[in-house]
Amino acid sequence: MTRWALLAAGVATLALPPILPERYLATFVLLLLAATVTVGVSLLMGYAGQVSLGQASFYAIGAYAAGLLSVHGVPSLIALAVAPVVAAVAAVLLGAPLLRLRGHHLAFATLAVQLILLSVLAQADWAGGAIGLQGIPRLTVLGVELRDVGYAYAAWVVLAVALLISRNVIESRAGRGLRAAATSETAAAASGVAIGRYRLAVFTLSAAMAGLAGGVYAFYLGYLSPGSFPVLLSIEFVVMAVVGGLGTIAGPVVGAAVITVLVQVLNTLGTQPGMPDYAPSVLSYAVYALVLIVCVLYLPRGLVPALDRLRATRITVAERADPARTGP
Amino acid sequence: MSDLIGYLLTGLGIGAGFALVGSGLVAIYRVTRVVNFAQGGFAVLAAMLTSSLLGAGLPHGVAELGGVALGALAGLIVGVVAIGRPGTSPGTSLIVTLGMGVLAYAIEVLIWGDQPRSYPGVTGVAEVAGARFPAHYLLILAVTAPVFLLMAWFFTRTDLGKALSACASNRYAAQVVGIDIRRMGLLAFAIGGALGGLAGVLTTPVQQVTFDSDVTLIVNGFAAAVLGGLTRPVVALAGGLLLGVTQTLAAGYGGGAYQVEVALVLMLTVMIVQAARTGPVPETAR
Repeated sequence: MTRWALLAAGVATLALPPILPERYLATFVLLLLAATVTVGVSLLMGYAGQVSLGQASFYAIGAYAAGLLSVHGVPSLIALAVAPVVAAVAAVLLGAPLLRLRGHHLAFATLAVQLILLSVLAQADWAGGAIGLQGIPRLTVLGVELRDVGYAYAAWVVLAVALLISRNVIESRAGRGLRAAATSETAAAASGVAIGRYRLAVFTLSAAMAGLAGGVYAFYLGYLSPGSFPVLLSIEFVVMAVVGGLGTIAGPVVGAAVITVLVQVLNTLGTQPGMPDYAPSVLSYAVYALVLIVCVLYLPRGLVPALDRLRATRITVAERADPARTGP
Repeated sequence: MSDLIGYLLTGLGIGAGFALVGSGLVAIYRVTRVVNFAQGGFAVLAAMLTSSLLGAGLPHGVAELGGVALGALAGLIVGVVAIGRPGTSPGTSLIVTLGMGVLAYAIEVLIWGDQPRSYPGVTGVAEVAGARFPAHYLLILAVTAPVFLLMAWFFTRTDLGKALSACASNRYAAQVVGIDIRRMGLLAFAIGGALGGLAGVLTTPVQQVTFDSDVTLIVNGFAAAVLGGLTRPVVALAGGLLLGVTQTLAAGYGGGAYQVEVALVLMLTVMIVQAARTGPVPETAR
């Protein structure tokens, strides 16, 4: 049943790009990229039990790595492949000292890292400074230069890879160890879970996912500036992860889709004639805030687990109503 | 030499703002164990309202008090949402306050727009030992010092303040002797809101405020507070002043390029050293 649903979702999202109007295609591509980053955030929050408020910095590192390399003549596909590696290396270097911190300390530390990165990028002439990095060539796969629909498929592949990795991690021995550590660190450590190493591995993995998505983002937009990666973007990823359901496989995708579609609908409303020019930003801030608060307080485990539970209750109710069907 | 004195005094003025934001964080964290991410938003809201009130012709003093009152009210509202529901864990509350911070963006842009705002404070230039700098910095220091003295008196000499300190040192024991810890938590949020508001009201004449300047404020405030493990207001004061002075010195002698980095790297170093000394932060019961 889940397998069929997965197949249907895959086919539907693959069939969608050519028939989408152009202005929704951009939303679709950015949604897939955001979902990819959120898969990493969800792994980190749900499995390593740590909040990162700086995930957009790895998105930025991946994007700038791919952008800078291709601007300097490296073939675009190689530049894209290097993007997650650079992000992962950055994550190892940062994570080694930072992951000693827990909870709100780590949240503020990751936020600080992002502020430092933005400030450094804005002053770095080699990366275009505050004006930004311009003239990034388009992504070329097997000699074919990708057009808009092509990026949708590239983003789709990237998300599929992230989801596959996430599923394998969750079902691995390391994943079980991490789940134990998120509940009780002491107990897990006593049972022989190498918590520090696993935690760094998940941090690195989530950074690599963000870096890969960032690489596609760089080629898709063709222009990068520090302003493209505000702190609010990091918060957005956290909102998507929390709304979808932490530590679930489908959660990040559902969360990213719900938030993106909601913001897009409100954006369309906000840009209607007669609406004040501040309406779109006010509406999107309000949506992030309210969805996050309501979700955290009333659906603490997120949409996907809540829907699962609802379905499970329905089935039990049906069984109770008709005991003959399921036997004694 | 006169440069140095000028940098020191402006640094103390800026640092006093961080110290106020930080001590607001401490006031809330001690009682509720919640790190209030919306703390910077109180400063922005208070500063925005003050600029509107001054624009409407209210005299200085009244307008500033209005701003601080709005900060306290905002603190109370954030508190109700963040800890009002029984059984909300501090981790959950942190995410809720993050959401409240973003909600404040929507409200600020809706009412005041997204352009930077400021208003005149104490005008003129002060001269101390040959160093010349805007006189407003002296006002910031002149207000911050008595506020911290008042807080020290409040937390150690009044019944209400002692009840708050009791919640901070042992929640269970405080409950046993009949202190309503939820109400104390809300009071702490209101105090934190007022302190944040005061920071915004005081520093806006020398530093413009936009709806998203709360991120800088909260990070610097947290950096100030984390020196004292988020529980000691006096250390938050010292930390804030140190941070402000470091930033102005870095800006003054380093050409103004890397002042953000200096403060943030200082904070990261402090936290990592603290974690290395005490081991991982103890687990909270769930």
